[in-house]
Amino acid sequence: MRITLPHAGIVLLIGPSNSGKSHLVKHLISENILSASEAVSSDTYRVLVSDTEFINWRGKPQEEADSIYDTYQAISREAFAILDATVEARCRLNKLTFVDATHLRPDDRKRYLDIARINHVPIIAVVLDIPLETLLQRDDQRDSPRGKRRIKQQYQLFTKEKRLLKKEHFLATYFVKNTAELAFERRSNPIERDIQHGIDIIGDIHGCYDEMIQLLENLGYVKNDEQLYLHPAGRKFVSIGDCMSRGSRSLDTMLFFTRHINNGLAYMIDSNHGWKIARWLDGKNVVLNHGDEKVAEEFSEYERKHGAGAAAALKQDIKTVLLKAPSHYVFTRNGTAVLVCVHAGIKDKYIGKQSKRISDFCRYGDTDGFDEQGKPIRKDWFLHHQTKACIVWGHDPKPQPLLINNTVNIDQGVVFGGKLTAFRYPEKEFVAVDAAMDYSGDADSNPLKELESKRLDPPNIAKFINGYTVLTEAAGDIHIPQDAVKSAVDTMSHYTIPVENLIYLPPTMSPAPSPSSLEGYLEHPAEAIAYYRSHGVQRLIAEKKHMGSRAILFLFKDRAAGKKHVGFETEGVIYTRTGRRFFPASMEAAVLRKINQALHAGRYFEKYKTEFVLLDAEIMPWNLKASELIRHQYAHVSETAILDRQLLEQKLAEAVKSNGKVAEWRKEYRHKLDNAAAFQAIFQKYCWDVDDPDQIEIAPFHVLAHSEETFFDRSHLWHMERNRELAGYSPLFVETAFKVIDDAASEAAVIQWWEEITAEGHEGIVIKPEAFIAKEKNKLLQPAIKVRGRNYLRIIYGMDYLEPENLRRLKKRNTGKKQRLALKEFALGIEGIRRFVNRESIDRVHECVLGTLALESDPADPRL
Amino acid sequence: MQLTIKANGKNVRVLSYLLAKNPDNLYERQHKGHFIRFFYSKFSDQELEAVIFVTPDPLELVKNSAAAYDITHYINDREFVVSSIFCSLVRSALGTALNGQPKEDYREWVDQPFSLEFQFGPVASTLSDQQLRDLFEPLGYETTIAAGEANYSFSVKAKSSARFLSIKGETTLQTGLRQLFVLIPVMDNYKHYFIDEKEIEKLERYGQGWLETHPQKQFILRHALRFKEIYNKLEYGSFLHPGASSEPKTDVAAGQKAEKKVRLNEQRYQKIIDIINQENAKETIVDLGSGEGKLAVQLGCVNGVKEILAVEPSEYASLQALERFQKREQKPGFLVPTPVFSSLFYYDERLANKDIMILCEVIEHIDEYRLPKIIEMIFKDYRPKMLIITTPNKEYNDVYDLRGHFRHDDHRFEWTRAEFRRWCEQNSGDYPYELTFDGIGEEHEAYGCPTQLCKFVRKEGE
Repeated sequence: MRITLPHAGIVLLIGPSNSGKSHLVKHLISENILSASEAVSSDTYRVLVSDTEFINWRGKPQEEADSIYDTYQAISREAFAILDATVEARCRLNKLTFVDATHLRPDDRKRYLDIARINHVPIIAVVLDIPLETLLQRDDQRDSPRGKRRIKQQYQLFTKEKRLLKKEHFLATYFVKNTAELAFERRSNPIERDIQHGIDIIGDIHGCYDEMIQLLENLGYVKNDEQLYLHPAGRKFVSIGDCMSRGSRSLDTMLFFTRHINNGLAYMIDSNHGWKIARWLDGKNVVLNHGDEKVAEEFSEYERKHGAGAAAALKQDIKTVLLKAPSHYVFTRNGTAVLVCVHAGIKDKYIGKQSKRISDFCRYGDTDGFDEQGKPIRKDWFLHHQTKACIVWGHDPKPQPLLINNTVNIDQGVVFGGKLTAFRYPEKEFVAVDAAMDYSGDADSNPLKELESKRLDPPNIAKFINGYTVLTEAAGDIHIPQDAVKSAVDTMSHYTIPVENLIYLPPTMSPAPSPSSLEGYLEHPAEAIAYYRSHGVQRLIAEKKHMGSRAILFLFKDRAAGKKHVGFETEGVIYTRTGRRFFPASMEAAVLRKINQALHAGRYFEKYKTEFVLLDAEIMPWNLKASELIRHQYAHVSETAILDRQLLEQKLAEAVKSNGKVAEWRKEYRHKLDNAAAFQAIFQKYCWDVDDPDQIEIAPFHVLAHSEETFFDRSHLWHMERNRELAGYSPLFVETAFKVIDDAASEAAVIQWWEEITAEGHEGIVIKPEAFIAKEKNKLLQPAIKVRGRNYLRIIYGMDYLEPENLRRLKKRNTGKKQRLALKEFALGIEGIRRFVNRESIDRVHECVLGTLALESDPADPRL
Repeated sequence: MQLTIKANGKNVRVLSYLLAKNPDNLYERQHKGHFIRFFYSKFSDQELEAVIFVTPDPLELVKNSAAAYDITHYINDREFVVSSIFCSLVRSALGTALNGQPKEDYREWVDQPFSLEFQFGPVASTLSDQQLRDLFEPLGYETTIAAGEANYSFSVKAKSSARFLSIKGETTLQTGLRQLFVLIPVMDNYKHYFIDEKEIEKLERYGQGWLETHPQKQFILRHALRFKEIYNKLEYGSFLHPGASSEPKTDVAAGQKAEKKVRLNEQRYQKIIDIINQENAKETIVDLGSGEGKLAVQLGCVNGVKEILAVEPSEYASLQALERFQKREQKPGFLVPTPVFSSLFYYDERLANKDIMILCEVIEHIDEYRLPKIIEMIFKDYRPKMLIITTPNKEYNDVYDLRGHFRHDDHRFEWTRAEFRRWCEQNSGDYPYELTFDGIGEEHEAYGCPTQLCKFVRKEGE
């Protein structure tokens, strides 16, 4: 007799004492079919809890026997409690466990049936049906015999229960008469597959056969003589489900997958439409709607053309494939789960397991009743995903692949006129084919159009006002507290550009965590470089830091593109780091016009196939934005300082002639006067008169996004190349000098460069890791560290900050809060732009922007 | 921050005793890191020149302030200009002179006038040169004002905001110093310490003998005490003699304008209340952009209203509104409006399906291109039975002689009656509302009323 052992779950051994259960387990272990930890026995657990395997109470005086019996019962209770807990834990972990106990009573078996059901693992029964004589014989030979009477009792119970066993819900029940004739086979997890040469997962096809073929060709699959699509590198493709219904060629698509699956070239996952068609093909009574009726029509058509026989055979083939499609696949690399493919959604605890309940969840996702129109209200199951395996899913059409919490939605609604998306793994790339048309024929309930029409609706304030949490790809959950939200909403309502236009706010930037170790310096590149080195980043880039005002340029190809992306006709907007318009209206229009013309002249929008470009930049001169601040603070302070120190220096110079004692004071004031003059000189470096837009300089240092893509995966070198390219289009754009740091020599060169440019009065440099998003052990690192010059810092820390007594105290500054803010705002910034480019609803974008605005209302030392 | 005391003539050496400063020693004291220093630059039988100055610790000055999170807090003129900081730092160094308590032998010289000159500064003040002169000249000083330099590589300011004052006159050292201790903080743009009632006492002491009769007395008191509460206390104190108010008369025209504005506001509220009174469906009212709650509080007295939502995103204005509502709370029959923190730029389900929504003088504060979305949300999602919009009638600005200016700095636009009508019709076209236009305020035969109003009433059953 052959017994197939499931990959996980419970093997319940059933039989009276001496039927050979423990013996069988020992045998399997010695044959290396089972490992010792895969079997639990009640006898072992009794010893574990009480040092006793068995106590015989028979033949003792009544009083004593009763007491011994009580003790034995107590031991058994404790032993089984721990044994059951062990079995349960192993089931949760998807492990196989043999349970070695008699399991003669229905209640004993029900316990394990429940454990298996709750944990979605299989349970089989191996029943050892051994004659009574043999049992008695064996008992005699035991070290601690159970006694004839007890064996006979057990046997009687066993024979009674044997008939009931078949009706119990075991996946399989084996009746074994002779253990010597047993052969065992261990199955691997049927839904686990090695990734091998790579996997291409295809979103909901819905009978869009032509688009599917095009997509496979784009993915590099080649048709062979047998009309099978093979990948030269041996990759395989997966249908995420719903390959049929709604569209016009469901039958061809299903047939295509049937042939490829049967040839071991493809996989298919169970899905809501797939399951319905399978049941229909299986003769079940189902109502065909939501495009399923089109499948039935196609079958009728096939039958008309090819006859009933051929149709029946075809139905049989397809039915088999559909019924066999599992709820999900787990793809492994080196035995570790790295990728999960599921149709509508999955809970982490379901991964790698199968049950009716799991199948239901995977087909329909997490639903929470139905709305007024009878559509299911979807709950966001993916928010709870925590394991490191990437989950790829479809089912719910989104305008763009949606990356959220290590899950990827690849249903881009091809049947509704959207796109058919494939996700290449392990490359993690998307390849997509546009739909030739909207096949659904249902204009009223086209989910893509519905999403698009609501995309720019005002955000629901209820989501924000009590505080909220943004789940970011880069840094996980970021909480925005209630108080901060209110002041941010206040700002949004009075000062900023419109919600739909304000898709990004730049993060704050911190200096290095520790001050310079050198005397006479507060900041120095060495500490910034050391920060990244200590976090394992070797290649860095040092960019010159311009001294003007931070600005975001959101530039559209034309006014129509503005209408398409933000809902009103606009050529673009230039705004400050707090979301306010940078220029007065007329100046903004002139600057935008010039840039727009220059970009068109350079064919920028054609070259990159984009309808907008989002730039992170610094705009000079400083006095464009800061003239009030300069007039009332910097200029005024410099004038009072110079006047005060000059007069005192003169008075002291006169006095020193008659009163030598004031010589020290005079020296001090001469020095102080120099400081004041240096202070007055430095801020003028960053200012010049602007009479017309041509005198403005814009230094874009990040190309954040185009209409179809973001550039957070590009290195800063790439961004600097774009900076140079933009400078080539328009004199308004200026280049940014930069240097790469990758060894001691280049590090020294950067430090020298910094010394030189800051001595001339330039603000300083920004040191960044080469990668836009740098992480260490999955934790985000500072995206940039600023290193400001000794001279420049006079306008931040005061003209006398370099005096040793002042510097000593200033070096005690703490950058912790600033750095935490910088990381949160960086993650929020990236998240918002990604969502916008993915054409998600504006409230999803806005929660990121509002978050940054709110975080910025939490005060930090403004000198950092 | 510095003060030079110069004296010419006989007996000037006596001044060193009145100041209690030995010409043979340097004087230097430290207070919280700030150095208070004094030296004689001239000391002869006929001529004396003494300088007292402070070398502050700049870091100490910026410590522990509520403004610590603003960059302007760190780069400011406090460490350079003469201000109340200077006065309090040098007060003890000049204590003997200020109090007129030199050694017994020199007591007689305390009331002896000298030919004195005080040079002090820099001064940071919003007062004009003339206003500064008006402070010192009535006291008999010849006043010279010098300015710092303001030569910049780009145009930022025409002249320096740093000034240095020199006042010359016959006076006793004590009176001269006391006058400076009162007037330096008056000139300066702000005070550094908490002003309490002790200030009044100090003013009384230092002001004795000259402030009572100073033509700028009210001005000096107001600036010296800075905060209204403290100033008001003064009214009941002993110091202020009744009558003789030298307060400049308030601008008559400005007063009339303000009065007119109040009247128009009241007329607007009355008009809205009249409209509401005529309605049957008026149980729930939403005042969008309710600001400080002036309209909402009046709606609280309208019969038949059961709920007033005062919607406002400004936290400051909301607090004002709350105070306003609380004051009326006890009044019988008054329905306290519910403040709702919300904004027209967001969807808020709490505002849906109400009887009446009001946008009273709100839309003109919003950029015109953003309005259609807001109006769409009101008609499509909030669906009130009635919407009332009021906004200025631009034509009427000619009556005010505004010469192309808006009525308020924050107005993004103002419309003529035709523009308003067109806009209302265009934006409500897709929704079942009936429009009625009206005016508020005194009607001009060519320009109409100062405020225009549109009432949108939802058609029954649609």
